[in-house]
Amino acid sequence: MADMPSQFWAGWIVVITVTSFLALVWLIVDIYRDGDLGGEVKDELWDETLREGARPAPVWWFWFILALMAVSVVYVMLYPGLGAYRGALRWSLGGQITERFADYETQFGARRRRILELSFAELAHDEETMRSAWRVFNNHCTSCHGRDAGGQAQQFPDLSDASWQWGGSEVQLSETIRAGRQAAMPAWQASIGEQGVRRLADYVLALAAGDDGSAAQAEGAGLFQQFCTACHGADGSGNPVLGAPALNDAVWLYGGSRADVMRSIAMGRNGVMPTFGGRLDETQIRLVAAWLSAGAKVPDER
Amino acid sequence: MKLVSLHRKIERNSGLLIFGILVVSSIGGLVQVLPIVLGDAHGAPAAGLAVYSPLELEGRDLYIRESCSTCHTQQVRPLLAEVKRYGPYSRAGEFAYDRPFLWGSKRTGPDLARIGGKYNDDWQRMHLLDPRSVVPASIMPAYPWLASRDADQGRTIQARMRALQQLGHPYSDQDIAAAPAALEGRTELEALVAYLQSLGRSMAGEPQP
Repeated sequence: MADMPSQFWAGWIVVITVTSFLALVWLIVDIYRDGDLGGEVKDELWDETLREGARPAPVWWFWFILALMAVSVVYVMLYPGLGAYRGALRWSLGGQITERFADYETQFGARRRRILELSFAELAHDEETMRSAWRVFNNHCTSCHGRDAGGQAQQFPDLSDASWQWGGSEVQLSETIRAGRQAAMPAWQASIGEQGVRRLADYVLALAAGDDGSAAQAEGAGLFQQFCTACHGADGSGNPVLGAPALNDAVWLYGGSRADVMRSIAMGRNGVMPTFGGRLDETQIRLVAAWLSAGAKVPDER
Repeated sequence: MKLVSLHRKIERNSGLLIFGILVVSSIGGLVQVLPIVLGDAHGAPAAGLAVYSPLELEGRDLYIRESCSTCHTQQVRPLLAEVKRYGPYSRAGEFAYDRPFLWGSKRTGPDLARIGGKYNDDWQRMHLLDPRSVVPASIMPAYPWLASRDADQGRTIQARMRALQQLGHPYSDQDIAAAPAALEGRTELEALVAYLQSLGRSMAGEPQP
């Protein structure tokens, strides 16, 4: 027990507690022996002419106090309280929560382990399981990704579409939740200048619109080949291993206006998905991943 | 000896009565408070607990200035539901460098004892400046001034660190000498986010419960 007092302080606590307890018993018994209980109202002269009627305590009060004292003796015998003595019941706050977790395991353990064995398709098939998954998502993920998993604030990606920056397979989804992700899009302003940023933005926007061969984009195409293909691929289809999003579709995490795209190129983007491995256990991670994989459908509130 | 006659004497002598009250009312403190303050049972820092960096310390004082603990607690109680929601329950050693501790007593907003690392810095910034931008149903006030104010405007970070050093926080003299530079050019927003991101980190990776 790390939180128990050291020997000296344990002795200190025991001595003071026992001494003051015995003194209280002495006081109460002394009042009883004085024969002062349950008597008539007495006229007491307090100070010169100050008089006050004093009613002695009733006899039942004496026995009541004595019974409470007996209860307190039993209490410190059963529970921790007297120095480093842990009590006959060996009760502790930490022990109590361990017990609660054991009960929880008994109640839900088998069901939780089953979730780890079922495939995503099987999990998605069960409405009750998906409801549980939605509750985990609602508790831990909605602050960033939104209640409908639709993304927020041109910062946090939409998880309800089929576009996955870091890959949408079972393993990739689980790993993104478990270990988090750190994107690393450098700032290009210094390398290619403002003119370069503008041309590149125009090229990328044309790429997204499905028009990559236009002569008007020739300069941007050159810049793209030189600076962007290593991560985003020659055709701009992206690379989930690096978290480089596809640029040849209409999905824009940080906004798809010309100004937004220019800002992304000029200043870079370094999105961070926090690590949830320590907060969610494997069952919860699998639930959320399966729910996302099945299209992140918010169940009807019951 | 007759204690009852002693009682009469005490009640008629106010000096003696005051003395008696002081003796009796100190017993609880002697038993419950003194062993914790002077003993080492509760004061040992948790493994992996670091002192607050100057930026985090400044953020902590801003947390106090903005009265965050009026609505947010910083203690996970040892109850199944709380451990399931927030993570391992709080241990005494986690607060060894909190003077005063900021446990709070009312949860209008969620508990923050393990908030460090749950959201990224961008989210924390957006949320402090305009909570509704990321949590539409939030009732938390916005704190827009944090972004435009420099951290440690009173230039008191060294004095604050020296005070903690004297109380036994392991700040070295070099730490204190380097503190103003660490806050140079940083905003209050950055300081508060740094503090929030430090909360609960010493228990990261601890198995439940």
